[in-house]
Amino acid sequence: MIATLAIEAGDLPLGGGLLALVRPALLLLEPGGILAVRSSAASVVQDLPSWCRVERHRYLGYEDGRHLIERGSLGAPRGAREWGYRLKKPSAAEVVRAVPMPDTANADTGFAPRGARVEPGGPRYPFDLLERDRVAPPEVAQLYDQAVAAQWDVGRDIPWDTVGEHDPAIESAVCQVMTFLAENELSALYVPSRFIARIHPAYVETAMFLSTQLADEARHIDVFLRRARVAGGGLGVSSVTTSRSLLSLLEYEDFTEAAFVLSVLGEGTFLDLLRFVEEHAPDPATAEIARRTRNDESRHVHFGLAHVRHALSTDPTLFGRLEAAVRRRAATLHDVGGVPTPLQDSLTLLAAGSTEPRAVARGHEAFRALLEAMHAARIKRLDRAGFTAEQAELMSTLHTANFM
Amino acid sequence: MSDDTILLGAVAYDPKVVTIWEGIRDHFRAEGVKMDFALFSNYERQVETLLRGHIDLAWNTPLAHVRVQKRTEGRSISLGMRDTDRDFKAKVVVRKDAGIRALKDLEGKVLAVGSRDSTQARILPLHFLAKEGVDVAKAKLLAFDTDLGKHGDTGTSELDVLKALHDGRAQAGTVGDLIWTLEQAAGRVDPNKVEVLYTTPGFDHCMFDAHPAADRGKCAAFQKALFAMKWEVPEHRKLLELEGLKEWMQPREEGYASLRAALTEQAYW
Ligand SMILES: [Fe+2]
Ligand SMILES: [Fe+2]
Repeated sequence: MIATLAIEAGDLPLGGGLLALVRPALLLLEPGGILAVRSSAASVVQDLPSWCRVERHRYLGYEDGRHLIERGSLGAPRGAREWGYRLKKPSAAEVVRAVPMPDTANADTGFAPRGARVEPGGPRYPFDLLERDRVAPPEVAQLYDQAVAAQWDVGRDIPWDTVGEHDPAIESAVCQVMTFLAENELSALYVPSRFIARIHPAYVETAMFLSTQLADEARHIDVFLRRARVAGGGLGVSSVTTSRSLLSLLEYEDFTEAAFVLSVLGEGTFLDLLRFVEEHAPDPATAEIARRTRNDESRHVHFGLAHVRHALSTDPTLFGRLEAAVRRRAATLHDVGGVPTPLQDSLTLLAAGSTEPRAVARGHEAFRALLEAMHAARIKRLDRAGFTAEQAELMSTLHTANFM
Repeated sequence: MSDDTILLGAVAYDPKVVTIWEGIRDHFRAEGVKMDFALFSNYERQVETLLRGHIDLAWNTPLAHVRVQKRTEGRSISLGMRDTDRDFKAKVVVRKDAGIRALKDLEGKVLAVGSRDSTQARILPLHFLAKEGVDVAKAKLLAFDTDLGKHGDTGTSELDVLKALHDGRAQAGTVGDLIWTLEQAAGRVDPNKVEVLYTTPGFDHCMFDAHPAADRGKCAAFQKALFAMKWEVPEHRKLLELEGLKEWMQPREEGYASLRAALTEQAYW
């Protein structure tokens, strides 16, 4: 009898360590493969056949000091064994290149990491995002690596001592803007979190990227609330327009629709808002807050665009579905009042820099220009996603007056 | 039985028995087979109820199986068994410090044995020892007669035997190879203290027994649904693990001769 694999077991008894050699060796064999166990322990002659009977391996006998076992087929893990990887400079992107994501995933494999061999018969998990093209755009791992490297510290990286004293009306405007931003950031924290638990672990890089996004949003909430409370102000008003708009985001059940509306349209619009805040910030700390959060947001927009573009390229019917998602939302929001008035006034005063009437007139112009810049930038992003000019114009016009 | 539901008897040796049979009943329903079960507290009552025809079939220990066959003069119908029921063996385990080198050395020693009605921990190991020429009457039996009526299903008495061996109350003991293997594989046996002296020849274990007059259609439907259970199907695997098998097998009768001989010899029919 020629063994596929042989191990030296010395005088180890079955209940005294022998199985720690036998079981891993059997895992290396395909069903039907033969394992030779060289053993000098007399008790093993009695115990090994019994163990094989219970585990459904075939004990073939004892010859020349070797026990021969034929590996049984029940419970054999599925898939090829990973072997010989030597990652050079391990990054998530390199891992995905070495171990590509499957086109579709099977919910029966649970939390088994991609590449592990899975023993069959395990329980079914409630993952329902099972298609690579709807979950994981090609650049996701690279975006994750970038996001990890770009994390920053609210306490250390903001020059808090530069805030200084402002005209109370301007400080109050800053606080109102910070209140609005924090409220919207909360939705940006909650909405993606609902999808992480639905993503199959074969596409874990998407869950990992989203977790960096959650960490970003948590930091944004923190930094905006700190700014509101650092210079004698405090939080402002939360408007019903904002509240309605954010609830409608929370109600999307489809991952791609949610990514489209939250990241491409909402966070995309926030890029312009944050640039406006940076430009008109009354102090370097506030400007730095806007600059850093905007950097993070551009990563979120980048991922959202990559997700949507990749999904659209593999499923053209998605254009119509995304358009319908925007229309549905607009129909339930029917914003008649425009941008929430506390925000509108604060942005105007922020751009004015003072309450002097001529400055306020300039601030008002800047606010109007902001709305136009947002519209134009949305159309550009929709165009990059692959929508026609008419679709882009319509969807940008229908986008919420709450910006997110 | 007048209706078309198969009524099966099982002994509730553990609360998990309810989980097992409710799960199997769900599986049967999915296969289009109506089945229900009645739970008994002991195999004697289950056997009597089967013989009266109040249940269609019973999930029986080897002791209950050979008794049903004897009482029906071989007309009962065997329907299936677990893979683990085939080639079951019993072990004589000894303390390494007891100076027991050969079976004859057991005479005069304290020999821990399982329940009176346990095939693997009492009836058959004592039978095979006698066959090997050991005068069992000369050993001092330390008997763990726990869970009588359950025919050794709980394994409690076998764990008691292993415990008595480990703490030195016994110098030798008899257990089934299933418990012996599982306890070793789980790291609960101290190989410095105890080891196997002797392994019995193989014998077969549990069996589904149908009443001689059981409807043949029901028997066929039962087998079809039973053999459709697969280790690789998550819902099935859970039940199979609880019941201690990986695959249901066709019945076979050749593995019960030693038990019949032992029962006659020990006057325990
Ligand atoms: Fe954010
Ligand atoms: Fe964001």
